[in-house]
Amino acid sequence: MHRWRWLIHIVLKSLAYRQGRTMLLLGVLAMAASLVTSLGIVSSAMGLRVAEEVRKYGANLVVLPAAARMEVGSGGLDFGTIAEPAYLSQEELLRVAGREGVTDCSLHLRGHLRSGGLEIPAEGVDFAVIRRLYPWWQLQGGWPDADEAVIGIDLAARLKLKAGDLIRASGTAGAGEFRVAGVVSTGGEEDKLLFIPLAKMQEALGVGSSVSQARLLAQTGGVTLEQRAARLQSLLSGSVVREVRQVARTSEGLLKKVQLLMALVTAVVLIAAASSVASTMSMTVLERGKEIGLLKAMGATRTGVLLLFCGEAVALGLIGGGVGYLLGSGIARFVMKTVFMVSAGIDLRFAGLSCAVSLCLALLGSAGPMMSVFRLDPVRSLRGE
Amino acid sequence: MVTDIIETRGLTRSYGEICALKPLDLLVPEGEWLSVMGHSGSGKSTLLNLLGGLDRPSGGSLQLGGEDLMTLSEDGLARFRREFVGIIFQQHHLVPYLTALENVMMAQYFHSVPDEAEACMALERVGLGKRLKNRPGELSGGEQQRVCIARAIINSPKLLLGDEPTGNLDHQNTGMVMELLKELRSEQQFTIILVTHNREVADWGDRIICLDDGALVREERAGR
Amino acid sequence: MMSALKLMPLLLAWGGIVAALARYFPARRTWLLISCASSFVGGLAGGNLLLTLFKGEIASGAVKSLVGMCFLCLWVVALAAFYRVTGSGGRSIPGERKKPYMSVASGAASLAGLLAGAICVCRLAPQGAGVPLLPLFVLGVAGALLAAVAIGVERFVPADITVTGESLLALIVSLLLFASSFSLQLDLFSPLSMKVMKFIHDFVHQFFESMLMPDHLFFRRDVWEYIGYLFGSSVGFWGALLIWFAPVILICAAIRLERLPSVVHIRQGAQRRKLLAAFIRERRCRLTVPCFAMLILGVAVYNSRFPRVEYWDPKPVAVAMNASGEIVIPKKAEIDLEDGKLHKYLFKQGGREARFMILSTPDGHLTVTLDACAICKPDGYGQAEGAVICYYCKTLIPLETVGKPGGCNPVPVPFKVGADRVSIDAMTILNRWSETVTTTSRIKGGGK
Repeated sequence: MHRWRWLIHIVLKSLAYRQGRTMLLLGVLAMAASLVTSLGIVSSAMGLRVAEEVRKYGANLVVLPAAARMEVGSGGLDFGTIAEPAYLSQEELLRVAGREGVTDCSLHLRGHLRSGGLEIPAEGVDFAVIRRLYPWWQLQGGWPDADEAVIGIDLAARLKLKAGDLIRASGTAGAGEFRVAGVVSTGGEEDKLLFIPLAKMQEALGVGSSVSQARLLAQTGGVTLEQRAARLQSLLSGSVVREVRQVARTSEGLLKKVQLLMALVTAVVLIAAASSVASTMSMTVLERGKEIGLLKAMGATRTGVLLLFCGEAVALGLIGGGVGYLLGSGIARFVMKTVFMVSAGIDLRFAGLSCAVSLCLALLGSAGPMMSVFRLDPVRSLRGE
Repeated sequence: MVTDIIETRGLTRSYGEICALKPLDLLVPEGEWLSVMGHSGSGKSTLLNLLGGLDRPSGGSLQLGGEDLMTLSEDGLARFRREFVGIIFQQHHLVPYLTALENVMMAQYFHSVPDEAEACMALERVGLGKRLKNRPGELSGGEQQRVCIARAIINSPKLLLGDEPTGNLDHQNTGMVMELLKELRSEQQFTIILVTHNREVADWGDRIICLDDGALVREERAGR
Repeated sequence: MMSALKLMPLLLAWGGIVAALARYFPARRTWLLISCASSFVGGLAGGNLLLTLFKGEIASGAVKSLVGMCFLCLWVVALAAFYRVTGSGGRSIPGERKKPYMSVASGAASLAGLLAGAICVCRLAPQGAGVPLLPLFVLGVAGALLAAVAIGVERFVPADITVTGESLLALIVSLLLFASSFSLQLDLFSPLSMKVMKFIHDFVHQFFESMLMPDHLFFRRDVWEYIGYLFGSSVGFWGALLIWFAPVILICAAIRLERLPSVVHIRQGAQRRKLLAAFIRERRCRLTVPCFAMLILGVAVYNSRFPRVEYWDPKPVAVAMNASGEIVIPKKAEIDLEDGKLHKYLFKQGGREARFMILSTPDGHLTVTLDACAICKPDGYGQAEGAVICYYCKTLIPLETVGKPGGCNPVPVPFKVGADRVSIDAMTILNRWSETVTTTSRIKGGGK
């Protein structure tokens, strides 16, 4: 196989001769490949991470009474109160939850209380569970102890309350006084509510041990969430069990948008890199016109000369891909460490991708110049035209 | 019985309106040293390019070594060039980033396989045994031309074409190159066709033909 | 139609074998055609005979061992070729290599045809039973026709691609292995990797024993990890891969390392080099066939690792109970219960439902079972070749044991078989279904 070894030898010598141009091309290819690699690694790791986070935190099922009309609200819109209050049985919920692979269950009791002459919407919750299932609550102040309450930021502004103040609220069947431990702001409907311990709410509304909705974090090992929901619904009388898509969908949606943005940036960079390679290569062909003519005069076939240039493009592509992969991995590690606080492992799949991208760029960029090499007339080039 | 290695009938080449070579009938027997003289623009380079298969004729027939060049495809011409013809140019066209040895091996590569030993021997034959590893930039004009000669004859061509090979050389180097050509020709028995405008150089050959304005005007026996 | 698709790669492999033989024996095409066609048909008939007389496993076992012996033959030939080239300073000139005797050649061709036919039959055979006469006949005709086509097509393959004796054998064996990799029972790579793993495991075990060391000593943790690698399944895979590809690699190496004919007698440099270049090119062409064989072997490994199994899983047919509280299903209505295939039914009554299936085992008995087992989640079953598979835990349950309770077998249901019908008590089946489903659903993760 002498010929192949000779070809490689010539290709390397040719690249080494024009160091400046080779370095430039390598730089462009490595940069493009490293961009693709780093964005690819970050994007795939991000995807995994977000899925993990969504799985770890936040409830994924919500149980509502079948008879109640759902209080629809999303962000600023609030379509009003429940037409007829309907409740779920707390004991039944807890009992079923324990059996059906539900790891966490947050019970809510929604209602209205009067305070200082105003009617305020309030919710009775178990704060310990809230802390686990609702990690996006941002509290100014602290988490409440027993008999303390949390107030939403809009409501606090309306009532002119802050952390540490006392609020007196009464329902149809009872009343209570609570110290406001913290002010919550989530950007959602929580900002308008007053949160007090569940037991107190139940007392105030006089509904015994009932709740108006429950949010569950159910395990999904082995069955899909839908099946889990269906099963729970069949076990809990008079209930409707739905998946909570909001959190998952928004973060997935956001992730998709970010990924799309990164893909667009990558595409633009790749196009720029390809045109840069193309222009450099065509300049080279112009410079080397005499050399090409000489080779043809020596009796090289057109494919023979083409092979030489292809070999150069392939060599550049491979080296650029390798360097790009190393660079891109380093960048990805850095980004993941600083932005996501996670250490990325070594992902060898992207080595292949990086080399492939670099090769494609090199070959595509040289396609035009190679066509002109093909058609070169040795006589004219040797004469110096 | 000496056969004719080159046989042309009505060979002509035009570039659009301009006729670079008027219809030419030429017979070159094997082993002859033919000198082609003429002023610039007389069509001598065109003739050489046609004979070397670098250019396609516009009309007429051209037979070299029994092969009709008109019927050959692009790749066929390439094969013809590398097996049958060796070309030397006035401006020593050497690949700048390869050493002298590698330049010769390039010709071997396109022909069949590179053979370092053979290339070494060829360079030693032309007197460059000590300058194998030097790039063209480090060689003098005469040395470069000798490398070109070595490269041209490495594949044992039947025909050696030279387009003013000594045009850029001084007197001493010219003599050296011409001596070398003469020795090689007597060793390897190829046909030489040299294009030159120098009478002294032309006299090295067996026959001289003169072209003027694309047409053959004179033919004479050289005196050497 | 499905069977035609199943057989396509095998028939192509057969065509390749015939074409390779034709390239090696260019002078004896008619004889080759006759012998190949007849041996293929013979293989079909023989294979079918084995399948009908004995159980599926015996027939496929026989075919497997024959193919395995061919593979061993290849090993021997490869080693011999390699030794010949490297050992005694290989002095053979390509053009003068002796072609083997006609008897050896005809034997090889016939054996290849027999095996190819047998493999085709085994692939086609449903659950290891015999194949009906018509498809067999069609297959025989197709095989013979394909042989003729292959011999004709071979003329158009560029003449540069030459075939040596060793590479012919390599190609034939690799095509046979490729063909057999399509059926689970005939696949050779998995048993090979199992054997390698077992061998290494036993060897390491023996090694430690013989060194008078107890099995689990206090080695340094990382040393133990490395030793642990030897026990993993990947060592079986890599070892088997080595053994699988080694003969063809050796043959490639033998061709590559073979010394080119001497060119020193040619004085003129250019001619010498041209001749040399021609020899190199010719050697490269001789390498194409073994490289192609390597590719085929790679595809066979892929097939073995990722087998495509089509599961027969019909949509459950809804049934109702009659006045006496029984579900009656006729044996031969639109659905023939005794055709050896799974039939699923769905019975709904007052908010409760039960899925069950009726199957005719290879012994000829009908069994009725639930479409659920006692340990896994009720995901259902599908039918693969000769077995049913539980979708949840992916266990293969041989057809013979369907109807017996236990393990991941589908839960059997009492039923009565009449002359032309099967009747099942509706209440029993509903109760059994609810029992099974509630017990299995309660188990977190569903057992296994």
